[in-house]
Amino acid sequence: MRKSLTQRVTLSVVGVLVALLFFFPTYWMFTTSLKTPGEVLSPKYDLFPTSATLANFASALTKPGFVTYLSNSLIVTLGAVLAALVVGVLAAIPLARFRFKGRKGFLLLILVAQLAPLSALFIPMYLLMRDLGLLNTLPSLLLVYFATSLPFTVWMLYGFINGIPYDLEEAAMIDGCSRAGAFRRVTLPLLGPGLVTTSVFSFITAWNEFLFALVFMQDKPKQTLPVWLSSFKTAFSVDWGGIMAASVVYAIPALIFFLIVQRKLVSGLTAGAVKG
Amino acid sequence: MTATKVVPMPAGATPPASARATPEKPRRRTGIGERMMPYLLLLPALVAVLVLLGWPTIQMLGISLRKLDLHELVTGKAVWIGFDNYTEELTDPEFWSVAVRTVVFTALLVAATLLVALVIAVLMRHLNPVVRIILQISLVLAWAVPVIATTTVFQWIFDQQYGILNKTLDRLGFHSFIGYSWFSTGASTLAVIGLLVLWQAVPFVAFTLYAGLLGVPREQYEAAGIDGAGPWQTFRAVSWPAIRPILTMVTFLSVLWDFNMFGQVWAIRQGGPDGASTTLAILQYLKGIAGSHFGSAAAIATIMLVLLLLVTGRYVQLLVRSKDGELA
Repeated sequence: MRKSLTQRVTLSVVGVLVALLFFFPTYWMFTTSLKTPGEVLSPKYDLFPTSATLANFASALTKPGFVTYLSNSLIVTLGAVLAALVVGVLAAIPLARFRFKGRKGFLLLILVAQLAPLSALFIPMYLLMRDLGLLNTLPSLLLVYFATSLPFTVWMLYGFINGIPYDLEEAAMIDGCSRAGAFRRVTLPLLGPGLVTTSVFSFITAWNEFLFALVFMQDKPKQTLPVWLSSFKTAFSVDWGGIMAASVVYAIPALIFFLIVQRKLVSGLTAGAVKG
Repeated sequence: MTATKVVPMPAGATPPASARATPEKPRRRTGIGERMMPYLLLLPALVAVLVLLGWPTIQMLGISLRKLDLHELVTGKAVWIGFDNYTEELTDPEFWSVAVRTVVFTALLVAATLLVALVIAVLMRHLNPVVRIILQISLVLAWAVPVIATTTVFQWIFDQQYGILNKTLDRLGFHSFIGYSWFSTGASTLAVIGLLVLWQAVPFVAFTLYAGLLGVPREQYEAAGIDGAGPWQTFRAVSWPAIRPILTMVTFLSVLWDFNMFGQVWAIRQGGPDGASTTLAILQYLKGIAGSHFGSAAAIATIMLVLLLLVTGRYVQLLVRSKDGELA
């Protein structure tokens, strides 16, 4: 299986090229955010920046209400992620560990629930939230994001728990643990990577969602970051430097989230994927 | 009860095949409390799915049989018109061209995503650690940047006047690209949207497939090498069977995501120019929210759901029928 030198060099070159391709938009977002409006709208060829200014960041961050939007987004997203994880684990346990009537029916429900086009459920969801009196409140968004990421969360966690040998729990029970105790002490710690991988998905779903956020939240102070980001574009002009700076700011919490979970992410994907 | 065996297991000696725990059959001595346990644990998820997804879906089906415009929405009067919304859509040539476009777009996009991701996954396995980590970092970055930010960056890269792509093409000698508009035809608009989605979707699929490849024992590759198999044969005989179930799963997910995709298509050109990049999700939105014909919108959404069920039905069936409820 040894490869010749030319083979190895070719592979590395291809690898670096692919990496550059995937890196470029992020790079471009960042460098554009450091340019003055004059530099942005200049016909000069400017692949590599020659100067940098933080003015775009200053003006983005001092736009009225930024902190409100940020905290709204964080509340809604983290709330939805947490709720989906808790409810998801609770549901995944019996699916993976028990045989009971209705198990396959529930699995089918979970699978089919993922088919529903979110943008199509828009009107009935709007009516539902109106009837519940939740329109224009953060819980309405939280509920929607929780509901849309729940089926996927249950499905993934079910796969992960299935992948943890039941023998381990049985051994703990023989040693005197209760059923719940065995799960909590043995399986739950092993489920870490699974929880991480799954939460990444719900995080991304909720952090990105624009449509519901725009229509459910009529009051400005209740809106979230995606809506804030869209305010940089007006019908007549686009402040590219400003919008790129705002995008960087908007991407940072997601990057931090990835950074926190990344060590477990690949192992989580491994475990989940090997299970299929 | 006497049949319960305790097999002492040396740590780490579990063969991968036995890693799939067979959930035990309900024991005789379990009381009613324990038998109710699974249902109690499922209850929150069941309630959430039924109330927050099931009920809106049923309502959507109901609305699709009604004439529901702004007037009816305000007065709250239900005007039942049977399948009129459906016949109206299904006899509209515009609907059909949008439907065909959506299906072709989804198929091409899913195929491209899987192909690129598979190549990258195999590449990662053969790269030396340093290059592999560089590649993985840039993939994770592409994945982590929020969709809306990415969409905006792509618009900026493809900008007609000052976009870096046109500037670069001009530099490389293709002077006709000065001021070239990438969004002047539906096909090229959809191509840009496709690239954008590819860029966001490939990392997840590539990592998942790579993880699957890592699960193949090294000895199998060595054995293939000893038997004189070339790289292609090795891939066909060793890697392919190992990642097939994973490939099926990510295909299923990609079909769902790409078919229902709304945000990116909407953000790039709102389905333009002249509706030439409109997909079913956009059409549904235009009819519903923008045009206030909620009945027609619900009918389109229902047709979308039926289409998806037709395409994925076989897979869903297989998943639920297979022993553990999963294809692995």
